[in-house]
Amino acid sequence: MDGGVGLLQRQLVDYRASLFNEGILNEQFNQLQSLQDESNPDFVVEVVSLFFEDSVRLLNELAKSLDQRNVDFKKVDAHVHQLKGSSSSIGAQRVQNACIAFRSCCEEKNVEGCLKCLQQVTKEYYLVKNKLEILLKLEQQILAAGGSIPVQSEVI
Amino acid sequence: MCQKLVQLMQGKIWVVQNPRGFPQRMALDLRFQLHPSLGIVISEPGDFSEQLHHNSLFNGLHVLLADDDDVNRAVTQKLLQKLGCTVTSVSSGFECLSAFSPSGPPHKVVLLDLHLPDLDGFEVAIRIRRLRSRSSWPSIIAMTSNASEDVWERIKQTGINGVVQKPILLQGIINELRRVLLLQANKTVL
Repeated sequence: MDGGVGLLQRQLVDYRASLFNEGILNEQFNQLQSLQDESNPDFVVEVVSLFFEDSVRLLNELAKSLDQRNVDFKKVDAHVHQLKGSSSSIGAQRVQNACIAFRSCCEEKNVEGCLKCLQQVTKEYYLVKNKLEILLKLEQQILAAGGSIPVQSEVI
Repeated sequence: MCQKLVQLMQGKIWVVQNPRGFPQRMALDLRFQLHPSLGIVISEPGDFSEQLHHNSLFNGLHVLLADDDDVNRAVTQKLLQKLGCTVTSVSSGFECLSAFSPSGPPHKVVLLDLHLPDLDGFEVAIRIRRLRSRSSWPSIIAMTSNASEDVWERIKQTGINGVVQKPILLQGIINELRRVLLLQANKTVL
């Protein structure tokens, strides 16, 4: 029924808008969404899944690295840099910001600070993961009902 | 009025409400016909698909993309493909250099992440220049999240032709590709 799809689409637009308003996602995510088309209908899901896999791996590496007797801050910084890069590519703004703060602690060679930062990054990661899973589920529902995903052209 | 215009264009226009139920902004869905066109287009940040339609300059362009981050690589590759480029993706400096075999595709542009795990991007750029004679040099565009003075200096010294800031945005890559290709074309004419 068209009414059903329309409702789902409006729900999606509103949910997505709320994520932007809360600073969880930024414009980069719109670009990601815009790259999806009929020839590659799972593009967003694929990229987001890659992000989830990479992030979990990096968070584990970070925990391990910070647990060493002599912390190798270069290594820690390299991991954070990677996480910052991938989160910025998909528009996970809060994760990206947490990584920026994390890098400062690495520069200061402050273990306590780094551990706090790791906590923060981990928290932001699980938040965006949760939200993205809900968002993508909504999108799948729309597609399954025969509708198309509304593209956001501009975020104020 | 907007609604009439949009409907004439066979599009849709609707109001997006914020969580409190107040109209927050208008959303627009318009479709444009594909018209091949060359030349410089001043694009305003706006409809994504409109930007794509103006760039037949990139059709079939062979680009070598070197980025060790899976997410970045997937996104950038897709961006380039949407522009019409033929993309070869690699995730290390050595793979990047190996991609320049005589039997391989003729890469016209290399999009090079400066933070590769094995060789740093500058080293890769220097080695690429050694692989080929000047007349068949590809253009190299560095990708970096850090556009500081020192980075600029090294970029100039290693013969890299352009820079894009990460995270990569469509308009950013379009502009830099266009600029670098124009430079390349001018050099061959001379």
